Amino acid sequence: MASSTTASLAASPAFTFSASTFQKLHPTEYFRKFVSQGVRPDGRLLNSFRPTTVHQGVITTANGSAMVRIGGTTVVCGVKAEVAEPKLDAPDQGYLVPNVDLSPICSSAFRPGPPSEQAQVVSDQINRVLKESNVLDLKDLCIEEGKAVWSLWVDVVCVSYDGNIYDASLTAVMAALANVRIRKPTYEEGVVKVSGVDNTDEDDNSSFKLKLARTPLSASFVLFDTSLTLLADPNFAEEAISEGQISITIDEQGKLCAVSKVGAATTSLTSMRQCVDRARERSQELRAIMNQHQ
Amino acid sequence: MGLHLAFPHLITYRKTNSDVFFELGLRVDGRRPAELRKITSTTSVLSQADGSAYLEHGNTKVLAAVYGPREPRHRALVVHDRAILNVEFNIAPFSTGERRRRTKNDKRLLEMASFVKQTFEPVVVTTLYSRSQIDIYLQVIQQDGGVLQACINAATMALIDAGVAMTDYVCACTAGWVEREAAIDLNHTEESSDASEVTIAMLPKSGKITLAQMESRLHVDKLEEVLQLAGEGCKQIHLVVDKTIRDRAEDLARKLAV
Repeated sequence: MASSTTASLAASPAFTFSASTFQKLHPTEYFRKFVSQGVRPDGRLLNSFRPTTVHQGVITTANGSAMVRIGGTTVVCGVKAEVAEPKLDAPDQGYLVPNVDLSPICSSAFRPGPPSEQAQVVSDQINRVLKESNVLDLKDLCIEEGKAVWSLWVDVVCVSYDGNIYDASLTAVMAALANVRIRKPTYEEGVVKVSGVDNTDEDDNSSFKLKLARTPLSASFVLFDTSLTLLADPNFAEEAISEGQISITIDEQGKLCAVSKVGAATTSLTSMRQCVDRARERSQELRAIMNQHQ
Repeated sequence: MGLHLAFPHLITYRKTNSDVFFELGLRVDGRRPAELRKITSTTSVLSQADGSAYLEHGNTKVLAAVYGPREPRHRALVVHDRAILNVEFNIAPFSTGERRRRTKNDKRLLEMASFVKQTFEPVVVTTLYSRSQIDIYLQVIQQDGGVLQACINAATMALIDAGVAMTDYVCACTAGWVEREAAIDLNHTEESSDASEVTIAMLPKSGKITLAQMESRLHVDKLEEVLQLAGEGCKQIHLVVDKTIRDRAEDLARKLAV
């Protein structure tokens, strides 16, 4: 500030702000005050994840579904299986079509209209993890080679957005895929037949579950401030003031499925190693939570 | 995209217990004609919205979120002495039993959104919030008939949860002529059959109707009975919704008192 204003300020009573006003005026400074003490404004430690719940089978009209809550972020994922023609270069394989929908219902930050860049990026990230990690043997989705296959439409609807949509969406997708039941089809002369739509009989052999070869789950972090401090599981406010983002996707054997780092050009390898280690722990915690609710 | 080959069709055979129920004078899902489906309702389910509610009528599941009163999105829409209401529908692709629906700006959705808006405009005390906008977002998670009804009921709860002033609750119920008698709260099977269906939205205190919507044929002699039954249904729904709101308010008051 210029010296003249400093002088006039010295004469007037000191400014006092309420915490929330200060957060709006100087968000980075506000966070700095907490992070320097090793905590965050919501009371978490720098490497803590928010309370997470996973519920499967929440939507009976879908073949598989799951609802995941990570702190204030809530997503619902539904999987619907439809008969489709296979792609010409893979006549004995079905396909997965993931999509993440971030609409105005989940936060005032989103406007109505076509999918935002963020929604498209998250959708694409999930698509790549599912494809490259060979989560599912797509040959299992074949009904009749060259004629009919199952296409799985995996739709994630975010109903409440408070940061870390990627972790929540991926967890929901994996939980929903594990929950999928598809009635066994028979193929006759160009027509695929499936008997009965009663969802209550689960014990008979007329439907099959998906065989998941791997279950990748992720842990996301942001880098805060010039010190590039790692904050695990960012909420909306933390995402807004971050310098860079890191996401680590790990499967049940601790093998890396995907690593993503954007922004913060001067991140060190130590930070990356810390993220991977923390992601391993988080992956185990998440699996325990998923199995608990099954 | 190359040659279009004959698309493989998916045929599903339905098993129903309707024959048994028919003999007993019950409906396809075992309900009596004047029986509502099970209602589950909760408010304050979303952390980001100012007010929110989750409502289930049997297998129809709807989430409502209210943001506002807040600054209007477009300057041109600002009204100097009242708030404007904006309603948006979002139907999840996995919500329907059979085919997956993709269209977002569907005329049907826009029509339903406009019904909801017109239903609430006379009830919300918009003159208290001049120059602002109240957004009502409706997310349909699962559909099994009575979507408009569920959305209106969920929107009422979400508006109350957001603290938006209203002159009364708005409770909606569907009714129709199914098989040989009047029935309320029709599910998807009943809606898609030959039955006629009317959706009524009512202010329970005064008994006034703010919305009456019917698209099928109904004999004028039967209209009175169907409307009356729908009114009864609205009153029953009002009791359930009111209880949820009051329980929540008591809960909050207890927490504040500590």
